Amino acid sequence: MSNSARPVRYHFFIIVALLSVLASVASAQDWIRTGTGLGVERVRLAAADFKGSNSDPNNVTLLKTFNDVLWNDLDNAGIFDLVSKSFYPLQEPGQPSEINFSAWNSPPPSTSMLAFGNLGVAGGKVTVQGWLYDVKNEKSPQVLGKQYNDNATGDAVRVIAHRFADEIIFRLGGGVNGIAETKIYFVSERTGHKEIWMMDYDGANQQQLTHLGSISLSPRISPDGSRLAFSSINKGGWEIMMYSFDLNRVVAFPRFGGMNLSPSWSPDGKIAFSSSRNGYPNIFVVDPSGGNSHRLTEGKGPDVSPTWNRKTGSQIAFVSGRTGLPQIYTMESDGTNLQRVTDQGYAVSPNWSPNGQFLTFSWMRKYGGGEPGSNDLYLMDIASKQWVQLTHDAGRNDFPCWSPDGRHIVFQSHRNGSDQIFSMLADGTNVKQLTFKGGNTQPNWSWK
Amino acid sequence: MHDADIYSEHAQLRRPLAWSFGLHVAFAAFVILYATFIQGFRGSGWGSGGTGDAMGATLVSAVPLPANPTQTTNVLATESKGLAKSQPAVEEKEPEAIPIPDKNTKVKPKPVTSATKRKAEPEAPETNQIPYGEGGPVNGPYTMTAGGTKGGFGFTGSGGDFGSRFSWYVEAVQRKVTENWLKYEVDPRISESKRVYLTFDIERNGRPTNVQVEQSSGVPSLDQSAVRALQRIDTFGPLPSDYSGSKVSVEFWFDYKR
Repeated sequence: MSNSARPVRYHFFIIVALLSVLASVASAQDWIRTGTGLGVERVRLAAADFKGSNSDPNNVTLLKTFNDVLWNDLDNAGIFDLVSKSFYPLQEPGQPSEINFSAWNSPPPSTSMLAFGNLGVAGGKVTVQGWLYDVKNEKSPQVLGKQYNDNATGDAVRVIAHRFADEIIFRLGGGVNGIAETKIYFVSERTGHKEIWMMDYDGANQQQLTHLGSISLSPRISPDGSRLAFSSINKGGWEIMMYSFDLNRVVAFPRFGGMNLSPSWSPDGKIAFSSSRNGYPNIFVVDPSGGNSHRLTEGKGPDVSPTWNRKTGSQIAFVSGRTGLPQIYTMESDGTNLQRVTDQGYAVSPNWSPNGQFLTFSWMRKYGGGEPGSNDLYLMDIASKQWVQLTHDAGRNDFPCWSPDGRHIVFQSHRNGSDQIFSMLADGTNVKQLTFKGGNTQPNWSWK
Repeated sequence: MHDADIYSEHAQLRRPLAWSFGLHVAFAAFVILYATFIQGFRGSGWGSGGTGDAMGATLVSAVPLPANPTQTTNVLATESKGLAKSQPAVEEKEPEAIPIPDKNTKVKPKPVTSATKRKAEPEAPETNQIPYGEGGPVNGPYTMTAGGTKGGFGFTGSGGDFGSRFSWYVEAVQRKVTENWLKYEVDPRISESKRVYLTFDIERNGRPTNVQVEQSSGVPSLDQSAVRALQRIDTFGPLPSDYSGSKVSVEFWFDYKR
């Protein structure tokens, strides 16, 4: 026994020694070891009011704009647990040297991240310095430091606040760009005609794009943001129209004849739409220029409202009334592999999430007189076909559209007695009304 | 003769015992020295940067859907109504009237059997529907509920101290992987499993590459779902600009519990 035990122990000792050598070799590389189940909570973030860096009288109004916009952007981002301002220490920093770490990283604020900075006007120019600090890490706290210069106007300061918020969201949100500088396009009839309008993602800066004096619907911004497709009625009937942001006017686009509705851009710039040029409304696809059109669906349909899988561009979801009430179907972008994804009721307005994983759509699950429920928004996981309801007991909700970060949905709702545009987080919480004037419908969120 | 055998046994044991004692002492000394001077290759516990007070809701895959922290069947305890109808109250029929026996007959009345109390079949719920009371804030198939497992970060670095300097980045990685892990991809018959360990590299631009199963859980579908979680991620965001290295290696474990 002793004869066999001795070599084993020698081996053991050698193995331990070898392992320790190997471990110290491996540690030359930076390693992160982490896993699930560690509490995936939102980032706790405090955003201290920016301070004036000098005593210019213009600072006051600009600071108010800046602080409000920054706070709203961070609050809307959906990834932060914002610490209420009432918990902040009395001495709010405007410079890195003014930070008292222990006052921030312990209760009551007990934050892990702190955004702060200063703003100053001098000679008609504004300079904003902003920092993001990891206040639980006193040795190397700086995550972000930025300086912005621009004209001292409210609009410029608004843009600076959006940019700074996006930088923070990009860093802490795992590389997903923030949406503070994105736009929403929509149909408004506040002038008496249904025209295409645009606004910032938070409802600010609403401006009219088209002045056609007829009826324009379904605005869809191109992936690169340079063109906007929509459908409009004119002498020949409903046609796809194109608005160029390079020229700031409506530009020529082929007329197809019949009724052409609901355009939709693929990630590589192709356009799918519903056309009845062959008699029945079917889904067609054309090149960005409008050429090379081909039909994807057949039969009496009617097939409308196509939407591309925004991640892959290889699938299209659309609405078809081929079995009676409208239902949502998916198919490959060449028209094969047709599948029905809703099984009952009245389902319209599909929109594909940027990560390609979810469809959101408007659904009346029980359709007919006396049936409970209304048009509500639903979210479906395409792979598993499981769905959840996003809106509850809030009037008719329709035309959902994803934000580019995949965390928000903009939609049209009749909950307050008129059609207005709302946004919410993609889990149905944090609903915000964006428009108030006239009737506003069919929102479409820009791709970036 | 008999005694001699016993003594020889004693004599034989002495040397191995001495060896054993010596090796144990040497090993203990080695461990202490290693921990003292080389700091231990698992590193000190760190991670969520101190005590996490006032935690928020759990994030979800791609869309930030907070999970319902408590799963309750109590309607009043959830924030919003569920989607399904509540199950109808069970109606119990009155048993048929029992004839009063004649005075003279000795036949006793039979006890009423439960056959008359047939319960109404509850309506079968749709399979892809969220059960009543769990509708709440969205708690769909893509919500990740943290398993409640206690864990920690560990890192090694003689070249850099990525983990302690950029804990915010590590947390973002952790959050994003957990968000993109779809637990419904795991075989539904599995209720609990060993950890699966993945390793991958994060390049400077934030792209995860070189995803490998380091230690399998023994459940292929769980290993697969973990790999897919990584494949779903395009980027974690560029590595911090203050960091000089060209990539970071990550070891990530997945605890599965249904």
